[in-house]
Amino acid sequence: MSSAAKHAYLNTRVAAKATQLIGLQNVRQLSQMTLPELGQHFGLADVLEEPGSVRSKSRAVEQGLIQVLLADLAVLVRPMSPEERGLVLAWARKYALFNLKTLLRGKIRQLDPQEIRENLYDLPPQVRLSNEDLFRTESVAELLRCLEDGPLSLLARQAREIYEQRQEAFALEAAIDQRYYSEIARRVTRLGDAKADRQMRALVGSLVDRANILWLLRFRFAYGLAPSETFYQLVPSPNLMYRQRLLDLVSLEDQAKVIAALPEPLRTLLADADNLMESQRRLSQYCYGIARDVLRHGHSGVARALAYLILREIDLQFTFTLIQSRLLNLPATYLDLALGLSPAICAHHWHDAA
Amino acid sequence: MLKSKAMKHVRLLVLGEDLPQASLTLAETESFHPDPRAPEEQRLAPLVDSRYQNEYQQARTRLDKIAQVIPVPEPDLTEIRVVHLDELAEVNAWLGRAWEFCLEHQEGFRELDENARRLEEQQAALANFAELNVDLGALRADKRFLDLHIGVVPRENVTRLEGALGLAGHLLLKYMEREGNAHVVIVGPRDDGQSELKSLLSSAGFTAIPLPQGLDDAPETIQADQRRESDRIERERADLHEEVETCAKDMHDKLVRASTVLALAEPFVSLDPAIRGAGYLASIDGWVPAEALPDLERRLDASLQNPFSLESRKPRDDERPLVPTVPVRNRLLQPFAMLVKQYGIPRYGEIDPTLLFTITFLLMFGTMFGDVGHGAVLGLLAWLFRKKLGRFYIFGVLAGLSSMFFGVLFGSVFGYKELLPAVWMSPLYNPILMLQLALGWGVLFLSLACVLTIYNRLAIREPMAAVFGPHGVVNLIFYLGLVWGAVSLAMTGAFGTIPAGLVIAALAGLAAYNWGHMHAPIGEKILVVVIETLETVLGYLSNTLSFLRVAAFSINHVALMIAVLTLAGMMGTVGSVFMIIFGNIFVMVLEAVIVTIQVMRLQYFEGFSRYFSADGREFTPLRLRRKPRAA
Repeated sequence: MSSAAKHAYLNTRVAAKATQLIGLQNVRQLSQMTLPELGQHFGLADVLEEPGSVRSKSRAVEQGLIQVLLADLAVLVRPMSPEERGLVLAWARKYALFNLKTLLRGKIRQLDPQEIRENLYDLPPQVRLSNEDLFRTESVAELLRCLEDGPLSLLARQAREIYEQRQEAFALEAAIDQRYYSEIARRVTRLGDAKADRQMRALVGSLVDRANILWLLRFRFAYGLAPSETFYQLVPSPNLMYRQRLLDLVSLEDQAKVIAALPEPLRTLLADADNLMESQRRLSQYCYGIARDVLRHGHSGVARALAYLILREIDLQFTFTLIQSRLLNLPATYLDLALGLSPAICAHHWHDAA
Repeated sequence: MLKSKAMKHVRLLVLGEDLPQASLTLAETESFHPDPRAPEEQRLAPLVDSRYQNEYQQARTRLDKIAQVIPVPEPDLTEIRVVHLDELAEVNAWLGRAWEFCLEHQEGFRELDENARRLEEQQAALANFAELNVDLGALRADKRFLDLHIGVVPRENVTRLEGALGLAGHLLLKYMEREGNAHVVIVGPRDDGQSELKSLLSSAGFTAIPLPQGLDDAPETIQADQRRESDRIERERADLHEEVETCAKDMHDKLVRASTVLALAEPFVSLDPAIRGAGYLASIDGWVPAEALPDLERRLDASLQNPFSLESRKPRDDERPLVPTVPVRNRLLQPFAMLVKQYGIPRYGEIDPTLLFTITFLLMFGTMFGDVGHGAVLGLLAWLFRKKLGRFYIFGVLAGLSSMFFGVLFGSVFGYKELLPAVWMSPLYNPILMLQLALGWGVLFLSLACVLTIYNRLAIREPMAAVFGPHGVVNLIFYLGLVWGAVSLAMTGAFGTIPAGLVIAALAGLAAYNWGHMHAPIGEKILVVVIETLETVLGYLSNTLSFLRVAAFSINHVALMIAVLTLAGMMGTVGSVFMIIFGNIFVMVLEAVIVTIQVMRLQYFEGFSRYFSADGREFTPLRLRRKPRAA
């Protein structure tokens, strides 16, 4: 299949699938629906009508929605070249890493194996780790040893050394996240197609930029890490937050100076964000904006496919939040906060907001 | 042989206390395939207490993991007895301790590997330093103002670490790369706190390489020290191996017990999804071959202490897709059954294609690869490597015998025609006849496939599909009419009225059936019906022509051997011998592979895709695990 034909096919599939995206503007409308109406609308009526606890229903809904996303992923990666497929699958591998984190947390807290199993996502072979082998381990050290025999060997070796020295989950999880973003950033630079490369840099770069800014603010000012330690946890982005910029930013002494030194449009975006949650909300919307832009105006099939998957994931998260809020009978204010429809406030102010 | 064994659905009602014994008895008979469907009776609910299952799962996991470190003996199943929860829990707890022991030793081995790796890195670093005019003793000594670290770091972390160290006022110099690691020297101003640097180095996976004492000694002395260190590591490794072996011997009896207890507990755990309970009563549903039912009842009667009820009935029509099919057990057919299984399992009630597949496979393989010498080599090789090939060696032997049989018919021994007079003729003497026979074979094969399709549809109570469905009665009438007409055309020059009538009537019948079963706008209906009718005509034509390859390959075989022998004749004595030997090897390897692929293609696409739904369920009865899992 020629490159043009491949992109034409992929673009057609993406265009057809993009018609089912909900978008932020329709979320308000959906947030007015009752639980049965939502179940009907998203084809989850059977799951919601099954007898069971709120928790089990919520898990079933979440699992069902992830399956929807992964089914889309399976269809879209089929016509891609190995490098492109590798990049998109690397993006989706976050669900495997969620599972890994669940396993690690479960093992650290010595939870019942059944409880850990119930919290694992059921993933297709393309993106999953060998969960069963990992699940059979009886301690964190054994789990990390087991992980060393798989594709995450380097991460596991470092993670184990960190865990043996510090005995804490934070360093482990930070290493896992850091490795995830490094991997997708590295794969973008390996794409041969210049057009795909440019759009993909913007798209993946926005995700890496978001993670970098949040980590920078959190590690440097909330956890009080030294500039060198903070820099080590960050990932040079293929877009705005490149290596030298990160080196300059981590050396600054307070949050205001960091935000003032950010490149546009990030500086304006975060100028008056008064807490980390609000920064996160705005950065997420910035990422969705770029994804929407690539989906609407992009030419590269693979970049549009990834943009679609990012937006689809957001949609499914919205759906899950809506259903979860109905299951838990949360007030509308909480729902708006959770959906990001109203500016974020600190958690201890939520009660006042309600 | 062609039809799968008759099955019955059974429901065993026992008292809860008899469940473990009932599971064991069912496993011993090896004729009970559990049915995990929820029963229609609302009063029967899944068992709530899962302690037994949990203990078993954990114990099994531990035993499997132990088997990766030390050999786990086979279970001793001379006495079949019920394993109670207490005993299972006790074995599980012991296995937990045994696994801790194994884990500890695994860590010991890993630590030794790590030390060996570090020593290697040290040797590499010193060899590198040896080329520089540097006082290594000075590098090792403590500095007042300078902080110096020598070590290795994963290569992909170097750039990030370099940037981070720059922020901490340190410099990173990379002087060598080995495998996935970079050897680095880190230099910076001395800071007694150093928590920032330590945290950074630890996050980056930095491993310090200790510079040995006496760096100003002669290189031979340093190398001798390193050899001693390497010997020490190897000694420790040998000691650890010995310790593990001794412990494995000490644990042998307990491992036999654990393995036995788990093998005896497994049937009850495997049955769990098929067990339902109501009060003191428990019900187990499953499928049993009808012929094995009396034996099952007799054994249950002998083993259960309390009364029980065993109800059996024939499978209902709506259950047919769920009924398991008992696989072919004939030893000669086993390798062919494996190839059939690659495609799928026959649905219950359908014809099992294994025997037919075997016969037609051997016929086509022999025709396409007919040579006494080549067949003998193939059969002999399969026989000689029978241990490595397992049951599959029979496949090679039979294929070789088939080649030999057709070799006798064609009069070919390693391509030579003179050694053995042909009982029939060489394919190259009359290629047209060979092609005609191949077409005839194709017609027979496809007609047989249609007949099987019709039988299978009738067997699963789908009469309309048997008549009008793809490859059903109407299709067969069309095909036979077409063949009749084609033969008549070739012999008399005219298609014939009756064949033409049959073809037109059959196509009209198919078109009418498709028209009636389609729900679409009229334009779309016309389009689909026309295309489907055309596809039927083209499909049968192309499928029949596909069988020409049987003749083509038999001719090809002869032609290739003629080429080999002609080339050999053009060479000197030595060259000729080499040409004949290597030419034969080339033809055998090339053709054996290609012919096998071509025959499989004909079987799968022209045969199985017609009459074999392949969506059945394999009969996997509950049984005791007689052998341990592989270590």
